[in-house]
Amino acid sequence: MARMKFLCDAERCIECNGCVTACKNEHEVPWGVNRRRVVTLNDGLPGEKSISVACMHCSDAPCMAVCPVDCFYKTSEGVVLHDKDLCIGCGYCFYACPFGAPQFPQDGAFGLRGKMDKCTFCAGGPETDHSATEFRKYGRNRLAEGKLPACAEMCSTKALLGGDADIIADIYRTRVLKRGKGADVWGWGTAYGKPERAPTPPAGAKS
Amino acid sequence: MRVCNRQWLIAGLAALVLGFAAPVTAADTSSAQEQAARQQVQPGNNAPVWRDVRGGDNPYQTTQVRGVETEVLVQTEGETWRQLRNHVITVYGGWLLVLMAALVGTYYYFKGPIRLHEKPTGRSLLRFSYWERTVHWGVAISFVLLAVTGVIIMFGKHILLPIIGYTLFSLIAQLSKLIHNFVGPVFAVCTVLMFATYVKDNIPKAHDLKWLANAGGLFSGKHVPSGRFNAGEKTWFWIGVTGLGVVVSVTGFVLNFPNFAQGRELMQLSNVLHGISALLFVTMSMGHIYLGSVGVDGAYDAMRTGYVDEIWAKEHHEYWYRESVAADPAKGGGGAANPAAASPMKEGWK
Repeated sequence: MARMKFLCDAERCIECNGCVTACKNEHEVPWGVNRRRVVTLNDGLPGEKSISVACMHCSDAPCMAVCPVDCFYKTSEGVVLHDKDLCIGCGYCFYACPFGAPQFPQDGAFGLRGKMDKCTFCAGGPETDHSATEFRKYGRNRLAEGKLPACAEMCSTKALLGGDADIIADIYRTRVLKRGKGADVWGWGTAYGKPERAPTPPAGAKS
Repeated sequence: MRVCNRQWLIAGLAALVLGFAAPVTAADTSSAQEQAARQQVQPGNNAPVWRDVRGGDNPYQTTQVRGVETEVLVQTEGETWRQLRNHVITVYGGWLLVLMAALVGTYYYFKGPIRLHEKPTGRSLLRFSYWERTVHWGVAISFVLLAVTGVIIMFGKHILLPIIGYTLFSLIAQLSKLIHNFVGPVFAVCTVLMFATYVKDNIPKAHDLKWLANAGGLFSGKHVPSGRFNAGEKTWFWIGVTGLGVVVSVTGFVLNFPNFAQGRELMQLSNVLHGISALLFVTMSMGHIYLGSVGVDGAYDAMRTGYVDEIWAKEHHEYWYRESVAADPAKGGGGAANPAAASPMKEGWK
């Protein structure tokens, strides 16, 4: 089965924030929650580069490892998802994540953060596919519809690629060969540099 | 360009202070300038940018998304925190608790509780005032709640979860987190009050060294005189209540109030310190709770009722006993004792 990954081509990203908007619109995420963001490096200087970042669905996901209630699971496509019914909002995944992916609807006193929310690779959650509950908690399940993530599909310069790792790596390799520069596959070492964890069923199904 | 100006300001200040401008300036602005220079000679080479990204704290990063550290692409400290928490604190801390429980259990099994050698006189001495007892139980109850909920959050995944399942464990963990976060500040306030209340009798004295050298007669059964608090209690007061109490309280506040926009690095550091000191605190508390409950006859009653028998005072805290008797000549067998009337805890003695 395909192993899903994100790849952002820094030579192409023009910091239009279309991916951010697409994500917010697709999943109707609440205010203050940003599943995806665009970061600009050396802003306003020669050699400025922009990168779109969200949950990278790591091979050996740190969030999964540190969660005190073990609410994360990994699909057979390598997508890291979590069960909001089990999440206690402790924020540990947010401490551990290298990409700043986990988001919380609140940042209240006494650690009242609410349930964690993050990019699902448009793959929904443990609820029944396309159910109203799934949409409310996790957003749309595009993967179950045979579609790829909305952010990558919407990208105007096709800087952001999301899908089967073999295919997007091929596309990127062709680009690098043609333009003869910009071979840095940002974030892949951090996200996919470790041995792949075996897929796990949703936490609810395990008990 | 705001950031850029700040860089120059810092560099300028450093130059004024240190008197050598060139190396400082170069060090401060190197990454962006290096990329700009690289852009001239090798237009396709973005290596300086990627080095910054991996470093995780490039001051030239910006983003449209508002929030704390949203401009940071990669934070590498998270992995360090994960390794420390999952593989050092959880493993060694967990075994430390098990080891301490086993030691206390073994001691109780072989030695049993420490009993009085002489018959109780029936005359009682006030050991803890109403205020002292209130403060003690304030700290004690909040401490036990925090210890139990903290242990559930830290070790529950490995011990409780496989037994009771995901749904129930999540509920318990959620409740634990709430209790932990709301009782924490209560504990911090009580700890401050406890320090103020008990500090005067916990000042180390010369005779404490003798007590420590004999381990308080805990293993030899030898009588070692002590003041109102013995050296063991003083150690618990200074290292436990004061030292570890301050560390867990301060780091706890950092973790408990994420609404002050503190960054992840501070929270990871706080979490590590909080975990280590809390586990040491719980380990030490097992000794204290043991000696204050089943370990020493009469110790629990002292903190419950405030009174101890004169013989208890003489056998456990001889210097304090002598001071108390000297302060009140009616005590110490001088007056005509009426055991039944004088002892509010007569039933406690067998």
